[in-house]
Amino acid sequence: MAFRQLNYCCDMKTLSIDNADGQGPKASLNLFKGKSLAWFNHLSRLSIQGISFGMALLVGVLDYLTGLDVSVAFLYLAPIGLGTWFAGRRTGLLLACATALFWLVADILTRASIHQLVVPIWNTLALALVFGTMAYLLAAIKGQNERLEQAVLRRTESLRAEIAERIHTEKQLRETNATLIATRADLQKSFRELEQAHEELRSTQSQLIEAAKMETVGRLAAGVAHEVKNPLMTLSLGADYFLNRETGNANEAAMLADMKEAVRRASNIINILLDYARPRPLQRVPVNLNRLIEDSLTLVRQQLNKGRVTVRCELQEQLPAVLLDRSRIEHVLINLLINAQQAMPKGGTLTVRTSSTSPAKHGDVTGFVSVEIEDTGHGIEPEHLKKVFEPFFTTKPTGQGTGLGLSIVRKIMETHGGSITLNNREEGGVRAVLKFNLEEKGTA
Amino acid sequence: MNTQRILVVDDEPGVTRSLKINLESAGIFEVTIENRAVNALKTARRIRPDLILLDVMMPELDGGEVASRMEADPLLRDTPIIFLTAIVSNEETEGHEVTKGEHTFIAKPMDIGELKKSITDHIRR
Repeated sequence: MAFRQLNYCCDMKTLSIDNADGQGPKASLNLFKGKSLAWFNHLSRLSIQGISFGMALLVGVLDYLTGLDVSVAFLYLAPIGLGTWFAGRRTGLLLACATALFWLVADILTRASIHQLVVPIWNTLALALVFGTMAYLLAAIKGQNERLEQAVLRRTESLRAEIAERIHTEKQLRETNATLIATRADLQKSFRELEQAHEELRSTQSQLIEAAKMETVGRLAAGVAHEVKNPLMTLSLGADYFLNRETGNANEAAMLADMKEAVRRASNIINILLDYARPRPLQRVPVNLNRLIEDSLTLVRQQLNKGRVTVRCELQEQLPAVLLDRSRIEHVLINLLINAQQAMPKGGTLTVRTSSTSPAKHGDVTGFVSVEIEDTGHGIEPEHLKKVFEPFFTTKPTGQGTGLGLSIVRKIMETHGGSITLNNREEGGVRAVLKFNLEEKGTA
Repeated sequence: MNTQRILVVDDEPGVTRSLKINLESAGIFEVTIENRAVNALKTARRIRPDLILLDVMMPELDGGEVASRMEADPLLRDTPIIFLTAIVSNEETEGHEVTKGEHTFIAKPMDIGELKKSITDHIRR
């Protein structure tokens, strides 16, 4: 340990040691206490007085022996100064008188005749006056010095106490600050948890509302299906009966075929409504999306070729397998591929791209797999972009779209925990981006 | 060739009549109609059909309950049943029929040719 300061107080009462880190005195020793101190002071004063008088006497003897040499006269100042400084003003005045007396005796002993005593007496009185004044001034200076010293000591003690107080306050402030920082961190954590809980609550509430709506829609769809499909079945069976008669009338056959097609379309719309309203549980299995895309393209190849659509595949190799319901995602892909083809009535290029990213693991999600489907068609009107996922919204001619296709696509993606975004490309056409969460690592 | 006895149970007279006409036109099926589900069991016990076409959604008694009662009846226990339902979506019927458990469902409206084929297949089993 390094010590910053060793204090020895001038009053000789205490000896203290300060630590280097400014934390106040670490050790303190009272040297004297009570009566012991008074006796020590008294003995010290007597010793100083004795030594001073002895010195003055010695100087007087020396003055006599040297025949009143001027240089010796200055030596008288030493005992006066010593006595005054260490034994007080009274001792100083007494020493001044004693010194003048020694001077006088030395002068008298030096001079032979009595008539010559006038000068030395006069000199002695003058000298006593000078020495006395000097002793008085010296004592006054010493007193002032002591008062100053006491003031400095008091001020030092006061400052030391103030520093200790400040250090203590600073320590308390640091502790309070640390507590506040910890409290703030706790509050921030609680706030985040509260926000998360609030978000989950809102999400759950939305899901409950959505579930309630879907239950209502499901019941409605079931009722509609029952009430509409039975008449459709009667019509269909009637058409079948007449078709099987094979009358040979081409017009009759064509009309009956149109009736069957009309029944099929109406029935299909009811089925789509049922799919939308009552989705069956997902049957998730690990699926290689590249292979699923190729299979889906095979299913719509004929329609793409007929529409003069060139297909370009940019599929990432070693694409991680994704847990999904194969038939449902196939439905999503076919829907988007057909939409892209229909957006390019004069033909064009359809690009399918796959990629994967593996950001830092968040929960069970270890990354994402994206599927992009781009066309070079006419794009989507900006005011329609927000509505394309709404049920029954369609820009297709009457009879060519139910307006449920993209709505179902988004619903399927959401049930997979994924997402779909649809945007116009700067180069023209539309880009659909499907994003799937990777919940288990592995490559297909 | 022996004719196969078919019992059609559906609350829609238009549907049952159309089915009867279409199926009997082939000459291989003899169709009995029952438009009330509560009478289906009695009718079935009376005619002892080779196969029953049973609508799912009917008033008074639904198709599932009718099927349960038939399966509990020793005379009808082995009679195959094909359910006809309007509430089967595209996702549930990848072909023209769908099997759930031990039962076969055919979605309305169906193609008469496919229905005949299903009936024939089930009777052969």
